[in-house]
Amino acid sequence: MSRLGRDLLVTAVFAVVLVFLPGILRGAFGQASVSYLSLATNAIVLATLALSWDVLARTGQLSLAHAAFTGAGAYTTAVLLKLADVPLWVGIPLGGVVAAVLAFGLGSVTLRLYGIYFAIATLAFTEVLKSAVQQLPTAVAGGAAGVNVQTLFRPTFVPGEMERWEVAFLRNQSYFWVYAGLLLVAVVISVIVQRSRLRSAFTAIRTNEQVAGVMGVNPARMKLLAFVLSSFVAGLLGAVEAHRLGSVSPDGAFAVHTTVLALVTPIFGGLYTTIGPILGAVVLASLEETLKRTFSEGYLIGYGIVLVASILFMPRGLVGLLSRFGRTPRRDRPGEGSSGTTAPGATEPPDGARTAAHAPLEAGGRP
Amino acid sequence: MTTHGTPLLRARGLSKRFGGLAAVSDVSFDVHAGEIFAIIGPNGAGKTTTLNLVSGLLAPTGGTLELQGVDITTLTTHARCHLGLGRAFQVVQPFPEMTVEENVLVGAQFGSRRVSSAEAHERAEAALDRTGLTGMRDHPVEDLNLLQEKRLEIARALATQPSVLLLDEVMAGLRPAEARLAVELVKSVRDEGVTVVFIEHVMPVVRDLADRVLVMDHGAELAVGSYAEVTADPRVIEAYLGVDDDEDAPDHDEDARRAGNQGGDQAGDQAGDQVAGRAVDGARAGEDGGATPPEEAR
Repeated sequence: MSRLGRDLLVTAVFAVVLVFLPGILRGAFGQASVSYLSLATNAIVLATLALSWDVLARTGQLSLAHAAFTGAGAYTTAVLLKLADVPLWVGIPLGGVVAAVLAFGLGSVTLRLYGIYFAIATLAFTEVLKSAVQQLPTAVAGGAAGVNVQTLFRPTFVPGEMERWEVAFLRNQSYFWVYAGLLLVAVVISVIVQRSRLRSAFTAIRTNEQVAGVMGVNPARMKLLAFVLSSFVAGLLGAVEAHRLGSVSPDGAFAVHTTVLALVTPIFGGLYTTIGPILGAVVLASLEETLKRTFSEGYLIGYGIVLVASILFMPRGLVGLLSRFGRTPRRDRPGEGSSGTTAPGATEPPDGARTAAHAPLEAGGRP
Repeated sequence: MTTHGTPLLRARGLSKRFGGLAAVSDVSFDVHAGEIFAIIGPNGAGKTTTLNLVSGLLAPTGGTLELQGVDITTLTTHARCHLGLGRAFQVVQPFPEMTVEENVLVGAQFGSRRVSSAEAHERAEAALDRTGLTGMRDHPVEDLNLLQEKRLEIARALATQPSVLLLDEVMAGLRPAEARLAVELVKSVRDEGVTVVFIEHVMPVVRDLADRVLVMDHGAELAVGSYAEVTADPRVIEAYLGVDDDEDAPDHDEDARRAGNQGGDQAGDQAGDQVAGRAVDGARAGEDGGATPPEEAR
C-alpha cells in the first residue's frame, strides 16, 4: 500500500474513534463525562487550528493572520444569516470560502515578504480586517458589539426522560462530532500534502525558495495554495465556533489569542508534521485544564513556564522528543527538523546552518 | 567554430547593472545544440552574474535571451526550467532537512511538465545513478562531502531533464582525481545530448572540455572562440596577466597580435599555458567562499 493509502487508512481509524469517543466517555464516567467531552472538544478545536496553521508554515510562511481567517469565517456566516437568512449549512462552508479568498488576496501581496516582515504584514492584516468589520454599518455587522447568531444545537430538556446533565452532554456531543469532522478535513489536507509531491515543493520553498524555483517549482503558486488550504479550514472553524458561541464580536472573532494558539501548538507538538500539531493540541488542552483545576488563579503562569521550557528543551517539539527515544533514525522523517526560523533557541544540526549562512546566491557579480 | 542552424541558447547585448556598477555589459553569445561552452575570466569578470541572468535569478537591465528560439528574457526561473534550463550552483545549496534522494526528487517532480510519481522516482534514480550517488540516496544531505555535494548539484539539475545544463565552477575545491571524474561526468552528459554551459577557473579542464570559450573581463565580452584561439588572443593574455591594465594603447595591442601571428600555433599554446598557470593560481587563491578545500569538507 502506498504511504498515502496507509495514512488515509490511519485517518479513517482515527475518524471511527472520534465517532465513538463521546459514547465511550459517557459509559465510563457518567455525569463527569460532560467535562471530559468538553475537554476533548477543546483539544480537537485546537488541533484543527494548529494543523491548518502548520500546512501554511510548511512553505515557510509564518503567519500571524490565522485569527483573521477564523474571524472572516465567523462574520461571513453571521452576516449572511442576519441579512439574507442564509441557512447555516450554506453559511458555514461559505465562511471557509470567504476566508480562502481573503487568503489568496493577502498571500498575493505578501509573496515577496520573508520571516519577520511577512509575520508583521499578516498581523497588520488581522487588525485592518478587524477594524474594517467594526466600521461596517451596525445594521450589517453590529459594529463593536457584534451580532447574535443562532446556535447549531439546542437539545430540549424533557423532564422525566433524562437528567439535566444529559442535555448538556447531548449538546456537547453534537458539537464534538461537527468539530471532529473539521479536524478530519484538516488531517486529510495535511496527509495529502505530506504524501504527494507538494511536500517536496513546500519543503524546498521553505528551505531555499530561489533554488526551488531553479528546480522548476513555482513558488508563488505553491505558497498561495498553502495559504488557501490553510485559511479554508480556519474559516470553517471560525464559522462553526460562531454558531456554538451564539454571538460574534470583533474582539472575540479576531482575537490575537487565536493566532498565538495556532502557532504555539504546532511548535510545541512538532512542526511540519500531521501528528505533531494534534499531539501538541491534546497535551496543551489537557495541561491547561489540569492547571486550571489545580490553581484556579494564575494557572496561565504555569502554562507559560511549560511552553518556555518545552521550546528550550524540545526544539523539535513532542515529535522530536519521541523520535529521539524511538526507533526511527533521523533520515526517515524528512518532514521534520527545525527550520530555525520559528522556534527560538531551536538547535539546528551544525551543518544546517551552513546553507543559511551562505548568501543565497552570488548576486553581486562575483563569479 | 560551428555555426549551423539556430542556436539553442542566444544572448544578445545582455547587461546587468547594480546601481553604478556594470556587472555585465553588452554580452552576446550563441550556444549550439550539443556543444560544451565555457565561460572564463578573472575573478569579478561577471561570469556568475551572466549565468544568473541566463537562469533567471537576476533580471537583466538590458539585452535579450532566447532558448530554442523562444524569448525567455522576462520568464521566471521555474518557467525557464520547464523550457529546459538546468542549473548547478557554485556554492552548493542542497535543501537541508531532506535526504539526497528527496533533493533530486524536487527536480524530477517539478523540472519539466507534470510527470507521474513513479516516473519522477525513475528520473531521480537515473540521475543518482549517473552521478554515483545511489549509495547515499537515503542519507541526509549533511552526510555528503564536497565532491558528493557537487555531484548532488549536478544530479538535481539533470533530474529536471534539461536541454541546456548550466554548471558554475563544479570543479572548484576538488582534488585533481576528483576533478577528472567530474570532467568525465560532464562529457558523458554531453554525449547524451545535453548542451553544457560551464564556468571554470581551472584551465586544463577548460582545454579538455570546451568546444568554444567565452572570455569575460570587467563584465564585458573579451573574446569568443576555441580554447586555442582565445588563449592566443593578446587581450585575453593581458586580462589574465594584467599587463598595463588601464592603458592598453592600440599600438600595444597591435604589437601583441603581430607577435602572436608570427609564432603561430606554438606561440598560442605557450600563451595558453601561461594563462592556464595563472588562472589555476587565481582559482586556488581566490576561491571566494564557494569552494571549501576538501580537507575541510565534512
